[in-house]
Amino acid sequence: MSATIVRKAAAEPRWLRLTLTAVGLGFLFFFLALPLVAVFSEAFAGGWGAYREALSHPEALSAIGLTVFIAVVVLPFNVAFGVAAAWAIAKFDFRGKSLLITLIDLPFAVSPVVVGLVFLLIFGAQGVFGPWLSDHDIKIVFALPGMIIVTLFITFPFVARELIPLMQAQGKDEEEAAVSLGASGWQMFFRVTLPNIKWGLLYGVILANARAMGEFGAVSVVSGHIRGETNTLPLHVEIVYNEYNAIGAFAAASVLALLALVTLVAKTVVEWKMRQETEMLDTAMPPEKTE
Amino acid sequence: MKRVLPGFGLSLGFTLAYLSLLILLPLSGLIFKASALTLDQFWAVATGERAMAAYRVTFGASLLAALINAFFGLVVAWILVRYPFPGKRLVDSLVDLPFALPTSVAGITLATLYAGNGWIGRHLEPLGLKVAFTPLGIVVALTFISLPFVVRTLQPVIEDIEPEVEEAAATLGASRWQTFVRVLLPGIFPALLTGFTLAFSRAVGEYGSVIFIAGNMPLISEITPLLIISKLEQYDVVGATALACVMLAISFAMLLAVNGLQWWAANRHHGKERVSI
Amino acid sequence: MSIEINGVGKRFGNFVALDNINLHIPTGELVALLGPSGCGKTTLLRIIAGMETADPGHVSFAGEEATHLHARDRNVGFVFQHYALFRHMSVFENVAFGLRVKARHERPSEAEIRRRVLDLLKLVQLDWLADRYPSQLSGGQRQRIALARALAVEPKVLLLDEPFGALDTKVRKELRRWLRRLHDEMHISSVFVTHDQEEALEVADRVVVMNHGRIEQIGTPDEVYSSPASPFVYQFLGNVNVFHSRLHGAWAEVGRDPSEAPAHDRSQAMAFVRPHDIDIEHAPIAGSIEATVQDVHAIGPLVRVELAHASELVEVELTRERANVLRLARGQAVWLKPRQIKVFNVLGVPLEEGGSGI
Repeated sequence: MSATIVRKAAAEPRWLRLTLTAVGLGFLFFFLALPLVAVFSEAFAGGWGAYREALSHPEALSAIGLTVFIAVVVLPFNVAFGVAAAWAIAKFDFRGKSLLITLIDLPFAVSPVVVGLVFLLIFGAQGVFGPWLSDHDIKIVFALPGMIIVTLFITFPFVARELIPLMQAQGKDEEEAAVSLGASGWQMFFRVTLPNIKWGLLYGVILANARAMGEFGAVSVVSGHIRGETNTLPLHVEIVYNEYNAIGAFAAASVLALLALVTLVAKTVVEWKMRQETEMLDTAMPPEKTE
Repeated sequence: MKRVLPGFGLSLGFTLAYLSLLILLPLSGLIFKASALTLDQFWAVATGERAMAAYRVTFGASLLAALINAFFGLVVAWILVRYPFPGKRLVDSLVDLPFALPTSVAGITLATLYAGNGWIGRHLEPLGLKVAFTPLGIVVALTFISLPFVVRTLQPVIEDIEPEVEEAAATLGASRWQTFVRVLLPGIFPALLTGFTLAFSRAVGEYGSVIFIAGNMPLISEITPLLIISKLEQYDVVGATALACVMLAISFAMLLAVNGLQWWAANRHHGKERVSI
Repeated sequence: MSIEINGVGKRFGNFVALDNINLHIPTGELVALLGPSGCGKTTLLRIIAGMETADPGHVSFAGEEATHLHARDRNVGFVFQHYALFRHMSVFENVAFGLRVKARHERPSEAEIRRRVLDLLKLVQLDWLADRYPSQLSGGQRQRIALARALAVEPKVLLLDEPFGALDTKVRKELRRWLRRLHDEMHISSVFVTHDQEEALEVADRVVVMNHGRIEQIGTPDEVYSSPASPFVYQFLGNVNVFHSRLHGAWAEVGRDPSEAPAHDRSQAMAFVRPHDIDIEHAPIAGSIEATVQDVHAIGPLVRVELAHASELVEVELTRERANVLRLARGQAVWLKPRQIKVFNVLGVPLEEGGSGI
């Protein structure tokens, strides 16, 4: 009942409430809603036919394929890392734990361009391994492996960051109970831990996927921009745009914008699921009364 | 110490190996490469005229964008937590759009919107306000990409404010403004500063969205990440490396600042020693 | 300052929180609003403080209309259950807050603020904590600081919402005696909300018992305890045995076969007897009913006896001396005789009152 109480003494006057709402929503309208509408409006500026033609261009299709391929390769690695890191950090105590948490955040802080440059310096022609790689005829930069490596770097923290606080909050009672009942390590993980973290894991994967498919700066540096070969969709957008082919650029952009919208919806659904689950657990196990 | 749960060695070992191979070793490779330069050479590259101008543009625009987001982010977080309005859930989800939308898409869209014939630029140009292909365009792009940070760090903090605290201030005779400035703002300030720092840190490193709208004129509207790229394209790997080292140092500093801020927010007003009576 | 509440009502959606409340609180009185959770007591307190608006009805202070006055202009001190201290301010600054936010021409000088805050901290016996932050204090200390903060603006009315509800039993007892002394020293009117009957009966001059948004009874602690005005008050204040009786010479009818009752007297009624108002005898006497001993517990100075009368459970409290004389054993048949009984009809209207079996 207290939720419906309007706290009169702690409320702004009506004119101020309306002004603030107008200012906030106005800001979001100009900075979020309008660009989103503009993407689709520009993409369809030439009609449905031009849109379809732009997207069915072989270069566009290969860009879509490459984008999906990189994400599919990258995500399992970062899921494995995220789960391992969260397991070690949330369930055990060891020295240097807070330093480790800070280091996991590092890729968020580094400029994508610097990330690309770093791998160029290592695997490029004048890089540390450059001569050895060219002797053995292995191409890493300006080729697919380099693009996968920078995407790994860029999306490295997402899953771990979701799981660490979640698993810390859940504690280790359930796992200890499972072990005391005779479960093996993997049985404990698949039957107890994984069901508890599944929504958090999915949440991290959704965010990592959006970033993996959308990354531009880092991938741009190591891709070499070889058409039909090392062009992901975000890079394709740039190339077509710079050729003054607005419809082509925005048609590709609209696919990515659609991906962004799907990401937002999926994220909202998972957030809702997570909230529902905690609420369900709360009502199933009411706190003991202290009176 | 006997550990009850299995997998400590495996998970920590994997974590450290993966972190070292993918993140730490490559980054130290950058520093190693830069160490081939003498200090004078490094200094000359890192503080050259074009580099200094790029820093000015990058940090100036990032600071402005972060300030804009601090103000509007506070308003947006406040109305999302406190005021009912239709479509609130939708608006709340939309706030994360800049995280989900690839930067190149944001870049071409903002450039189109703010160009002289664009939906927004068309109305600004007669007022003498050129946004696209000027430093102002950089501010717009950076504001867009760093928009969610302040909102998302403030929202849970505003949700956690006990309404009783505001009512206590009211019964003690404080006006709404006094309550905001003296009671609420000190409480949410660390979160505001954290959000601001995160936004600033993200804006400083941003590349994709800016290059389409900036105009990229050396000394005027060229950001540091773009300067790194153009040095690379001119096969000036040493110059690019020096600039990247500067950027990396700033990234570290920002990361430390955010951690420090969070530590400060969690520990202030708990005094030196805890007393329990 | 006296408080006058006339015809106040409040709804939240379909839920009636308050229904036509009329209450007069004279200057200098300490009044407890007592009732179960959801009875509307906190809503009434918040309406007095101006944190909530009454739908219909009026609130006036010292005869002056205050219904639409904002909380900050009412000059009331409010103490919250969970203290609501400003956590980024030191104890000193918390107490000084009300003085610092005054308009410039009313604001005391810095020296005056300092003096007044330290005086208040001495009053609540916590002047040695002036530089601490709320997170460094115990619950009892926090609540005393909250009280000092409320008193700093020299309110004419002090309102306390479950002020001791979050504290443990020992601290709670200590603080409520202390509140009583403080109230007497300050010469203000105080209203506090509680669901703890012991607290209300011990501290208040007058107790307002509320249920379902209505006032059930207003009276001194002794009045509400010894002559409850309704079945609800009877059951809410202390333990009570309820007998579903046919109304005909109250006690004598309890438990008798309904078919024996005269036809003109079919109205159902309930008889209420407190456990300590029942005597146990080994032999039947006039107006007593038979019961079987189920269990005997010695609890401190009292002995609690559970008995079965027909299908109903009866609880009786005896002194240790009386229990020693009676030597009750499980399964034993005894006779019960009330000293004090009150009968209500189904509508809750009191019917008869009496001593030993009428």
